[in-house]
Amino acid sequence: MTKKAIKLNMIWMMVSLIAFMSCELDNYDMPNASLFGSIVDAETGELLEQDIINGTQIEYIELGFDDPATQYLVVKNEGTFRNNLVFAGTYTVRPVRGNFFPIDKQEIQVTGNTQIDFQVQPYIRVKNVSIAKAGDKVIATFNLEQTGPNNVRKIGLYAHPEAAVGEPLRKVAVEKVLNEPTDPNTTFSLEIDLPSHPALAPGHPYFFRVGALYDASEAKLNYAKAVRLAL
Amino acid sequence: MMKNKTIRTTIGLITLLLLSEGCSKNFLDRMPTDKLDGNTLFANPMGVKVYMANLYGQLPIEDFKFYDRGWSYVEWMAPSVLTQAFLTDEAVHSQWDVVLNNGGNSWWDPGYKLVRDVNLLIDIIPTLGFTETEEKRMLGESAFIRAFAYYGLAKRYGGVPLIRESQVYDGDVEKLKVPRSTEQETWDFVLSECDIAIANLPDTWLGGERRATKWAAYALKSRAALHAASIAKHWSRSPLSGPAADQGLVGVPATEANRYYEACIDASAAIMESGMFGLFKPNPANPQEAAENYRVLFEYPNAAGNEPIFIKGFARTGVDGHNYDVWYNPNQTANGWGYPGRLNPSLEFVDLYESYASPGHSAPIVTTEDGNVNDYNGYRKDRAYLRFENPYDIFKDKDARLWGTVILPGTEWKGENIIIQGGYVQPDGEAQIEIDNAITVDGTTYYSYGAPDWTQYSGFNPANIQMTRSGFSYKKMLSSQPVTPADRQSITDWMEFRYAEILLNYAEAVAESGFTANNAQVTAEQAINALRQRAGHTVDIPLTIESVIRERRVELAFENKRFWDLIRRREFHTLLNNTPRRALVPLLDLRTSPATYIFVRKTVSRTITRTFNPRHYYVSIPGIGANGLVQNPQY
Repeated sequence: MTKKAIKLNMIWMMVSLIAFMSCELDNYDMPNASLFGSIVDAETGELLEQDIINGTQIEYIELGFDDPATQYLVVKNEGTFRNNLVFAGTYTVRPVRGNFFPIDKQEIQVTGNTQIDFQVQPYIRVKNVSIAKAGDKVIATFNLEQTGPNNVRKIGLYAHPEAAVGEPLRKVAVEKVLNEPTDPNTTFSLEIDLPSHPALAPGHPYFFRVGALYDASEAKLNYAKAVRLAL
Repeated sequence: MMKNKTIRTTIGLITLLLLSEGCSKNFLDRMPTDKLDGNTLFANPMGVKVYMANLYGQLPIEDFKFYDRGWSYVEWMAPSVLTQAFLTDEAVHSQWDVVLNNGGNSWWDPGYKLVRDVNLLIDIIPTLGFTETEEKRMLGESAFIRAFAYYGLAKRYGGVPLIRESQVYDGDVEKLKVPRSTEQETWDFVLSECDIAIANLPDTWLGGERRATKWAAYALKSRAALHAASIAKHWSRSPLSGPAADQGLVGVPATEANRYYEACIDASAAIMESGMFGLFKPNPANPQEAAENYRVLFEYPNAAGNEPIFIKGFARTGVDGHNYDVWYNPNQTANGWGYPGRLNPSLEFVDLYESYASPGHSAPIVTTEDGNVNDYNGYRKDRAYLRFENPYDIFKDKDARLWGTVILPGTEWKGENIIIQGGYVQPDGEAQIEIDNAITVDGTTYYSYGAPDWTQYSGFNPANIQMTRSGFSYKKMLSSQPVTPADRQSITDWMEFRYAEILLNYAEAVAESGFTANNAQVTAEQAINALRQRAGHTVDIPLTIESVIRERRVELAFENKRFWDLIRRREFHTLLNNTPRRALVPLLDLRTSPATYIFVRKTVSRTITRTFNPRHYYVSIPGIGANGLVQNPQY
């Protein structure tokens, strides 16, 4: 910086210092409540596995305004969510665009730490999952228990260095298009051929996860828990 | 210095003060002398013509200067610096990862400005004292412009407020607020405006002016109806929920699909049966001739026989010219301009073309003896690569339009041999790829990029952003004349509607709807084969939706159609789902003597994978806090 520029900057700093002297940060109260909870398979009581990116979202609207803005929460992979900066008040809450049959919105009072667990019916339960390395391959086998009559669009095996692996976050995906209803007794098998996927480097650990997509409007994939494997 | 300036400013202020003293009292009511008010403008027929020309200038024609943020309205950077092809699978930029900005490509304010301007004209036409014929034509043109404006709005926003007459502000802003119509009502409005235009416009304009004709209106109707039909049919590929969807503001009921497909078929058939249009040079003697014919069609649309239906002219260099030539020529033909080589057609696009050897199928570029085209893991010493004497031999037998659209490695452009090479394989089998290097074998020196100096080649050097990183350079619509190395010097005209698109609209509507009346299935099959014949094919293929879409992508490549095809057919989210971009890297293999070329299919260097968010099937509506409109889903 030239001397002149430094001088100008100094002048600006002085001016701003004086000009903003009387300002306070702002005089509104901080959000004073938190909203947290989970998405639970109503039948098994287990948390429902999700995606963070482009996954299920919790839609919440604060009542008492003319034209309230719709706010959204993302859900973590294991099926929980939390927002520690919420204003206390009355809200309608509903999980949307998820991997389960849509449920109605609920009205809740949020004060302090408010918990809400959504009991849902997942589109598909991914069961009896085994993911293991066998020679040059990673092989996943699993069964699908679908809870509705529609087709299963596709199944997939996804791999990524992060535990949040899923269809949207993967280094490697091996997918199979089904477009047919599935039988719970059918064992599906997917495999990743390691030599043809240099993105998965030998000697490093990766997370693997299997998922299945049900044919419904705005459906997201249903998953089993991710498995960590050292290659 | 400082002192002088202060004195001058002071004198200036005092003078201003003194001068304003003498101003008369109605100072604020004085009319500017360099502008006309509405009454004066419309009082003169020439004024109406000027006004009309301005409306044409505002049409949402997605020409050389179009880009989602760019348009000619907001020139935040030199025009043509980006183009829609970057957002699709057609091309990759040599430097940037171009992605859709959040909210999509807005055209709200310019759209409603055009609607307002044309509504004012429609209101005033009857009072202007034109002859009946003139008045009829003017009504036709206005309807065409309004249809085009609402087409531009509907394909972005779905259902929008339909402002059918100019609004008057009487102090109550609430009266000006018009709620959104459903998407179906909006498309119906576009089609009905097209019908008014068709009924009132002439076949041609006597002076040969580039104004809307009856046929341009049919063409617009054909395009708009196909868009509406596609949304009705393919909505279920990516349904959206929320208030806008519940109220039908986005989405068209599936039951409407065939009605819109038939509207497209009827409008296209009117043009096809008019006898006024045809393909430019439909029967080439050989593929070489076909490639050149196809290239020339876009360089000189005005000399392209009766193929163009509606042309937008670019006339004044330096003023309203575009920049395709300066940004998109390969490095070697930049002619002194500093920023060429930006538009790099992708390998997945090149793969798409048919080979004359296997009509009816895409012919991906096979680089290895095992024929595996799904391995993008780069060079491997132990793989058996196919060897070629010339770098372009690998594209032998590919559709002539590939040669007319893309500059292939080792081919000639403007008298230069365009060198695109990504590296070499040493005699020991190790490869130097995208590394600036040289090696001497048997007394001859070989360079990574095919030549010693960066001005002598056009590809792959990562240190230089003028170099293609896909292995291909762009050709279609470029001028064959030397580049004028300055801003806005290109005046190639833009064909907004051409006969080939009408044939493809017709074929797609017939294939999608299964329409059979008037021998439509046969006519549609003939339509796509006429295009293929013009491209040097000699074997006809049957009508399937796959063949129509491949033909459309190939024929209309880089005409800014692909983006909207992916939108309306709801194919974007499956095409772009963690999807990488692909390159074809020519390597000089020094294991053989003389050296041969081998090719490596790989992911384009320094690029990210792309995912399309389904909410981008619609653009977010700006200003909903003030205009009170229902927002599109997920914004």
